[in-house]
Amino acid sequence: MLEYILAKYNFWIYVILMMIGLYAMMGKRNLVKKLIGMNIFQTSIILFFVSIGVKAGDATVPILKGDGHGHGEHLIQVADYLNPLPHVLMLTAIVVSIATTGVALATLILIYKRYNTLEEDEIMAIRKDASSYKTQR
Amino acid sequence: MIKNWFKLISLIAVTMTGALLIYGTHDMPAWGDPNSPANSHVSPRYILEATQKTATPNIVSAVLADYRSYDTLGESAVIFTASISCLFLLRRIRGRKEGEGKI
Amino acid sequence: MIWQLDIVLLIFIVVCAIAAINIKDLLSAVIILGAYSFFMCLLWTEMGAVDVAFTEASVGAGIGTVLFIAAVNKTSRRSKD
Repeated sequence: MLEYILAKYNFWIYVILMMIGLYAMMGKRNLVKKLIGMNIFQTSIILFFVSIGVKAGDATVPILKGDGHGHGEHLIQVADYLNPLPHVLMLTAIVVSIATTGVALATLILIYKRYNTLEEDEIMAIRKDASSYKTQR
Repeated sequence: MIKNWFKLISLIAVTMTGALLIYGTHDMPAWGDPNSPANSHVSPRYILEATQKTATPNIVSAVLADYRSYDTLGESAVIFTASISCLFLLRRIRGRKEGEGKI
Repeated sequence: MIWQLDIVLLIFIVVCAIAAINIKDLLSAVIILGAYSFFMCLLWTEMGAVDVAFTEASVGAGIGTVLFIAAVNKTSRRSKD
């Protein structure tokens, strides 16, 4: 039982982080809070992917010893280096997440210029007032 | 109170999602297992061949810039699109006063 | 891979995430999100993913926090929840 917990507790904490982000995206009314929740969600998934490539034991960072031109060469063992593939994929994911955050923040500035608030319920109330005003005329 | 009702619903949904995912971790290989499927299929080839084929000691940059450089090209296209859309969203329209176009 | 450091960093990260979504002042929430990103970067360094940690420290914690602060500066700091 203890062995099972030790093998899996990392994954459980990643799921908890993802739950925090998802709750902030669904339950909070402020738009900046929703964006912060989206960031936490993305980081937790990136953390999960990076942790897939971890090899417990003597494995080190995926940079080869020696200078790569045959000097100081030694026999390369797969078990000596971490899995580089998740790192590469997640480098792309981090940059894409920042791009989405930038576009979302630009949209948010436009929303604030138009409605003068960032709360979702106030925005919905303003929209409802405007539409009823239009139908009255 | 309608607001607290909504928060309660979202809390229940989030808890159910988390419980399903924690149930799903039962089938995952143990954390840091060197022989898990993710560690034993594609990446050994990169580790063994990267230094002969690309002459780069850092395997991550070898894979990023040599093996998967189309991926990096697509990523830069994404950044370009994002910056152009930010530019179009935040530019000031000439001749339109502040507050015009509001409802 | 040191499991004590791993547990301490994971606890810090969860506390930072909960604080970031519960604080009413938006500027404080954004600063705590930056601290969260730096703890995440530390965790990745400890896992051996140095390139990912480097990118996260420069892009995620640097540019992301700057963008958030600029947006909060142009809009309002007030938040109801």
